[in-house]
Amino acid sequence: MFRKVLIANRGEIAVRVIRTLREMGITSVAVYSDADRASLHVRLADEAEHVGPSPSAESYLRIDRILDAARKHGAEAIHPGYGFLSENAEFAAACEDAGLVFIGPSAASIRALGSKTEARRHAIGAGTPVVPGTDGAVTLEGARAFGREHGYPIMLKAVAGGGGKGMRAIMREEELESALREAASEAERAFGDAAIYVEKLIEQPRHIEIQLLGDRHGNMVHLGERECSIQRRHQKLVEESPSPLVAAHPEMRHAMGEAAIRAAQAARYYNAGTVEFLVDRDRRFYFLEVNTRLQVEHPVTELVTGLDLVRLQVEIAAGARLPFSQEEVTWRGSAIECRIYSEDPYNDFLPFPGKITRLRRPMGPGIRLDACVYPGWTVPMEYDPLLAKLVVWSGRRDESIARMIRALGEYDVGGIRTNISFFRQILDAPEFRAGHLHTGFIDEFLAHHRPPSPPADLAAIAALTAALDHMARGAGQPQVAANGTSPWLSAGRQEVMR
Amino acid sequence: MRLNLMINGSSAEVEILAPAPACRFTFAGRERSADVEIPEPGIYSVLLDGRSYDASVERSERALIVTVNGCRFEIEVRDPRRWSRPSGRAEGGGRETLSAPMPGKVVRILAVPGAVVSPGQGIMVVEAMKMQNEIKASRAGRVLAIHAQEGATVTAGEALATIE
Repeated sequence: MFRKVLIANRGEIAVRVIRTLREMGITSVAVYSDADRASLHVRLADEAEHVGPSPSAESYLRIDRILDAARKHGAEAIHPGYGFLSENAEFAAACEDAGLVFIGPSAASIRALGSKTEARRHAIGAGTPVVPGTDGAVTLEGARAFGREHGYPIMLKAVAGGGGKGMRAIMREEELESALREAASEAERAFGDAAIYVEKLIEQPRHIEIQLLGDRHGNMVHLGERECSIQRRHQKLVEESPSPLVAAHPEMRHAMGEAAIRAAQAARYYNAGTVEFLVDRDRRFYFLEVNTRLQVEHPVTELVTGLDLVRLQVEIAAGARLPFSQEEVTWRGSAIECRIYSEDPYNDFLPFPGKITRLRRPMGPGIRLDACVYPGWTVPMEYDPLLAKLVVWSGRRDESIARMIRALGEYDVGGIRTNISFFRQILDAPEFRAGHLHTGFIDEFLAHHRPPSPPADLAAIAALTAALDHMARGAGQPQVAANGTSPWLSAGRQEVMR
Repeated sequence: MRLNLMINGSSAEVEILAPAPACRFTFAGRERSADVEIPEPGIYSVLLDGRSYDASVERSERALIVTVNGCRFEIEVRDPRRWSRPSGRAEGGGRETLSAPMPGKVVRILAVPGAVVSPGQGIMVVEAMKMQNEIKASRAGRVLAIHAQEGATVTAGEALATIE
């Protein structure tokens, strides 16, 4: 087993990996940019190394600096987390060349499955059903021809992509030209590759994915599904296992699991990976893509299977065989995760980084919180807005929903904006409770949902609180300065930007 | 002390007759007593008619955001003793000030002072957390001033450009 592992990441996932490394008795090495010196992953790690300025292109994405840090600290392996270099075949190959173990699949597998179009070819070759689409990157003319042949709506996607960047749904041919231009420029910015391909759009699909785990000796199992249909702008917000659909049709788990294993084994895959499927209204599933890394939402699988996926990743990377067979994998209860972002749901979900002035974490039965925040920490504006993953487990889905709503109510983050209160409305929606999910759920919810008017006593409390707060703050000071900005606001702003 | 409030867009009046902890106040024409503790900054623990409430207070650019037992209230406080013009960007002379909708960095400026712009035209791009937000003119006019430079860090609500 390794004695020392470097984590080429930041934020909650770096913290998550450090925790398991410590439990395994492995020394952890954090890397950090200028903006992250005081971040939690640096504080929790055994060792830490500065790798550059705040922009990730000059720090977390610099392969040379990450490898230098690993060599300097004598790390034997690198855990890439998700995002950043985690699906970069060049990085995986560079680790191997440097004599370091990349905790993930081989560079060849990443190449084969990381590109969506390549992955699609493998899936087709393995007999896994796929959504009709173009064979690789298209021009405007190619996209037009596809739309005419298969009919609208169609979907534009980045060849190199993930995380919703470069994706556009096109309802009519007239929208195609400008959307293709925008998608290509977004893909260029996000991945350095403007190539876009086209797929038929499945209407009101569910997003259900299969967690895979394979060793370097050719053994592979699936760990069941996660339903990730609750998304906004193609970013997952709520994930759960089991999927309410699969729970009602248990034969789907086996069928999708087998299809996922076939597609991954066609690319000689090992370590943790995820095969994403779209499921249509007739419960037919279509291969979407493979994520050749640990997923953000892996904790829901951990909670229902009782496994530690990071521990298994590390053991597999060190050469161990899978310690269990498919028949030995069992699932118990229901787990739900909410992704807590620093964004303002009351202002079009715009990002809202800044200094955390106050923090109360949810606690008690069945709660898991994977987070990177602490009071006094300034959330940097350079990186993803993901602050925390709040995950609950209970024996039944309805109880997990109640538990999540309870936990969200306890969760208070002051000084910045978060989407915590938004989740309470989502989980409380009758369609969510009934498990009637699809990827357009949030858009429909935002279009139709009107929050119930609060009980009268709550308004009285709010008014009283506002008045007391105003009085405590205002004593003897002019409330509003000449430029229309109150002094405490200016002070607060300077504080935030420090 | 009597204060005029705008609570989620509706006007209301609250009067504090006795301060915390043994607080007396009137709201919606009714006098009430409440026990108020401040266990940590920005948090008010209120006992009212035997019920326990936890309220948190956040400041936004225009208002206080008070969250009570998970319910969110946006409250503007107007103190009659120290009245000043209401915040917001409605200005005389047909001017419009565009302000930053979020904290971030100005990555591109798309219009120069003096430029004639149409409604929806991009004036600059502000980026935070890998999300780019184009700040657009909401009306036709001429760019009077650009208040931020490329590369500058801006706070939510900060004035970015003036159009007339």
